[in-house]
Amino acid sequence: MIKALGSLDRVLKGQATDVRTLRAGTIDVSVRGLAGLLVLLGAIYGICMGTFAVAMRWGAGEARLGFLQMGYSAVKVPMLFVFTLAVTLPSLYVFNALVGCRLLFSVVVRLLVAALGVTLAVLASFGTIIAFFSLCTTSYPFMVLLNVATFALAGLLGMNFLLQTLHRFAVAQTPMPEVASSAAENAAPPPQVGESQPLAPGLATPPPIRQATPPGVPGALDRITTTGIGPQVRMVFAIWVIVFGLVGSQMGWILRPFIGAPDAPVSFFRSREGSFFQAVFDKVEDLANGNNPHTRSTNWR
Amino acid sequence: MTHLPAQSRTVSRLLGSIDDLLRGTGSISGLEDRSPARQLPLLVIILVIFGGAYGAVMGGFGVLEPGHAVQIIFGAIKVPMLLGVSFCLSLPSFMVLNTLMGVRSDAREVLHALLSMQAGLTIVLASLSPFTALWYVSFSDYSVALLFNGVMFAIATLAAQWILRRAYRPLVARNPRHRSLLRIWVVIYSFVAIQMAWVLRPFVGDPASPVTFFRREAWGNAYVEILRIALHATGHGYGGG
Repeated sequence: MIKALGSLDRVLKGQATDVRTLRAGTIDVSVRGLAGLLVLLGAIYGICMGTFAVAMRWGAGEARLGFLQMGYSAVKVPMLFVFTLAVTLPSLYVFNALVGCRLLFSVVVRLLVAALGVTLAVLASFGTIIAFFSLCTTSYPFMVLLNVATFALAGLLGMNFLLQTLHRFAVAQTPMPEVASSAAENAAPPPQVGESQPLAPGLATPPPIRQATPPGVPGALDRITTTGIGPQVRMVFAIWVIVFGLVGSQMGWILRPFIGAPDAPVSFFRSREGSFFQAVFDKVEDLANGNNPHTRSTNWR
Repeated sequence: MTHLPAQSRTVSRLLGSIDDLLRGTGSISGLEDRSPARQLPLLVIILVIFGGAYGAVMGGFGVLEPGHAVQIIFGAIKVPMLLGVSFCLSLPSFMVLNTLMGVRSDAREVLHALLSMQAGLTIVLASLSPFTALWYVSFSDYSVALLFNGVMFAIATLAAQWILRRAYRPLVARNPRHRSLLRIWVVIYSFVAIQMAWVLRPFVGDPASPVTFFRREAWGNAYVEILRIALHATGHGYGGG
């Protein structure tokens, strides 16, 4: 677990996807360890999501059902990502191979696991806010839209990471002596503590500069200002990102309920009806019209 | 040479830290001596003392009514809760975003700046409490008292923003990305704090209503209510819910 946390930390800091590291032809992360951690992060977010179901049923003698929904959500959020990946991964690899991308299947898997690591880390970090709103909000449409917004933000950051890392892969495979990032160009050089400050008595060398990230390592989302990626590969990944988003959204709809409407029975799955986008549109309309069809029990407190 | 008692030395150190904070001398400089881990107890002390002080004054609006004195204690508990819990809820997502944006190496300074902002907000709020007390003595309208407290919070927030920007200046100079992250922090923190304030009300305490720690209808959503009011004001009505 500690190793997996270390891997995720290196992914988030951009160390695992630094161009110099990628020259080895792969992303240096433990897929198995990271995958286990991703399941855990998804479960944490699921628990935060399911807090709404517990809160809504607390005073009505149905707390057990609320906790059941919370358990379902803790299982289903990781499932959402695993199934979405399972649906989209084969076509991604096949189309990449067709347009001449040189990434091996194992590398594509590592890349996607790392991207999901970014997505789920962001998602789980917003879990505290989701749980807080779940505990004190009676509006079901609001909670749906808040969760959709959080998923959208996390998804956008994760997919941005994916595209930037792919770009870095292309750069890493191009023989270039120097690679600069936009962040590195914008940022001032790191302060040379040793030059500007007198040495402490008894120190033969200047004190080391405290820096968690090695100098010159761009952030995980920094764009490398070098061309190199093929337009076809870029297009395939861009399309894949859109497809991943669409499939993920619809997968979320299929796997619902996650939040658990207070007046609906607790169940692992609901019957097939409508689509994700229709549902989001309906919730926006509900919120604007003041309709809160799913009301909290009056005995809740 | 005079030897101050331990308690006096502690108070003296606390006041010295507050002075440093307000003057900006303790924001970024001297980090070696003031790690966030060491600053956290100080922040908690400042939150409890100064936030509690403003909360107590804030809750004193109906003190002359029988049984309403307890609102002072509720206020003294709830203002530190409002600020502290909002901060704790907002921090994890913000730190992950900092890491993703490639400025994790500045985490210590960022945390230091945020703690300075939080402490500054509380101190400024406490310094405004005499105005609030004066207002309560002068006017008896509950709605206007609410508005006055809103203005005091707005002033304290603006001052805290100023402290935060000052603390962030070296960070922005080092990496312009901090400027965007600063805005993101303001959005996340405000989003949570507004709802927290809604949940924790009443702070002032209507003299015509019984004293309660939480209002019976408190569990709701500030943003849904704002939408309801906005739609009502524009003549679109709101079905309730």
